[in-house]
Amino acid sequence: MSALRSRKIKYFFILPSIIWVLAFTIFPLFYSLGLSFFKVRLGKPTHFVGLANFERIINDYKLVNSLKVTLLYVAITVTVQIVLGILLALLFHQETKGKSILRALMILPIFCTPVAVGYLGLTIFYEEGGPLNSFLMSLFGAKIPWLSHPTWAWVAVLLLDIWQWTPFCFLVILAGLQSLSEEIYDAAYIDSSSEWEIFRKIALPMIQPVVIIVLLLRLIESFKIFDVIFSLTGGGPGTATEVFSLYTYRTGLRFFDFGYASALSYLLLAIVMIIINLFFKRIRAVYE
Amino acid sequence: MGVVKKRSPAGVFIRYLLIMVVVTWALFILYWGVVTSLKPPAQTFTISGISIPFVQFIPTLDNWRTELYTRESKAALLNSIVVALAATVIAMALGIPAGYALSRFQFRKMKNKDLTVWFLSQRVLPPVAVVIPFFLIMRFFHLLDNVFALILINATFTLPFAVVISRQTFQELPIELEEAATVDGCSDFEAFWKIALPLLTPTLVAVAAICVAFTWNEFLFALSLTSIKARTFPVYLAGAEDTRGVQFWFIATRTILAMGPPTVLALFIQKYIVRGLTFGAVKG
Repeated sequence: MSALRSRKIKYFFILPSIIWVLAFTIFPLFYSLGLSFFKVRLGKPTHFVGLANFERIINDYKLVNSLKVTLLYVAITVTVQIVLGILLALLFHQETKGKSILRALMILPIFCTPVAVGYLGLTIFYEEGGPLNSFLMSLFGAKIPWLSHPTWAWVAVLLLDIWQWTPFCFLVILAGLQSLSEEIYDAAYIDSSSEWEIFRKIALPMIQPVVIIVLLLRLIESFKIFDVIFSLTGGGPGTATEVFSLYTYRTGLRFFDFGYASALSYLLLAIVMIIINLFFKRIRAVYE
Repeated sequence: MGVVKKRSPAGVFIRYLLIMVVVTWALFILYWGVVTSLKPPAQTFTISGISIPFVQFIPTLDNWRTELYTRESKAALLNSIVVALAATVIAMALGIPAGYALSRFQFRKMKNKDLTVWFLSQRVLPPVAVVIPFFLIMRFFHLLDNVFALILINATFTLPFAVVISRQTFQELPIELEEAATVDGCSDFEAFWKIALPLLTPTLVAVAAICVAFTWNEFLFALSLTSIKARTFPVYLAGAEDTRGVQFWFIATRTILAMGPPTVLALFIQKYIVRGLTFGAVKG
């Protein structure tokens, strides 16, 4: 950092933001912490119940299911997205004609409204005559019960998420690869190692910091998953795809059990915080 | 590029083939949405294969016409536009000065990088964790089903983009220009407003576009805090699944209407996307 000044005006610059954030996130979080100790009926806190809402968490089989679904979902999508992202980045990171156009096209999925992606998914996974099933019919003479079978509905959700976010991993990792100087590659080729070796011994270690940032950002976003599942499966069939956010949303805003829903949101917050803390040193180092 | 080694023509061919597969895969869902929106409702699922317009069916703009002349759609589109623009203006107005302060001044009680990470942590917060308190607070202030509530919340959740990315970009701007200006009698505020800010306009426009896109796509808060009057386009889209069952032709039209603005914006700021979406951590 260059010469830093220390004047009063800095507070004029930064305080509005700090106050805003305190008012709009820290205050609601405390409010919700308070609520989690109350029994709430029809949206009105009636009486103090101490830790009862948290005790309920332990015996809630639907919650356990939603946690399982969420963790599995996060683990699978993030892994697949990053592996595919690296492979695609390697594929594009060579002299390619029309590279900038191709890259621009790959940006599109990232910015698609997630809830709309889910609805398009409904038409694509449509079982009687949707494009995917008619393709499978003509090829194998069989179709897949995409949305009516618990496992397949799950696969459909995963596929949509992977479709939307692999391009993000790809773009960032490609940027990472391209920031490596060409001399490194040239030198590596003179040593005439195989391409795989160059990738493993040179490129991979050097893009590792970038991959970790991508991993972190995807982890954070994946835990928030709500929109696509809301529109594609609504958590069903049964509770096969009911992720944590959807379960909490229903508990709070469909059944108006605000107390228990607040306790649930704290559980999610705790899980995310634990995972983020594993990376905390690295995040801090980026903003040195 | 130095990567190119002697390659067999077959290798090159396979590589391009793979690239084509990837691009097709990336665009298929969008293509399908557009094509479905152009089909007459009765033919939504009767046309086989990939449904090439003009070849396999005669495209019609009927769905689009119906959709765009519906009062509800227009209202929802307008709400989305108002919320996205207003939230972005607030986020930028609050966030850019904060980002500037974090790059130019020394904070002692909490170090600059800790403040930055603190702002960033707002993005970590799962929205579902605060949606219930927001619901109650907005109900208390009689702001349910009011665009104002959505503006405030979306400004909060896009603020980290504005703060962190502008900090990272100001950081790369040499401070000498501003110092020279201060020596010439500019106040600190003028140095920020007249010197530093204009130099970063392109990046800041890109940040604004990202804020607009994220607010536009936001669904959970809009779903929870609005019903009819203030609903944004994604919420309106979610209401398409009515009692008569899912009307795929309207859904397709609406999904494309929903996705249009953010994706088009994204194409305009391509250069800044990697940097923007990684909060300045990776330079695109």
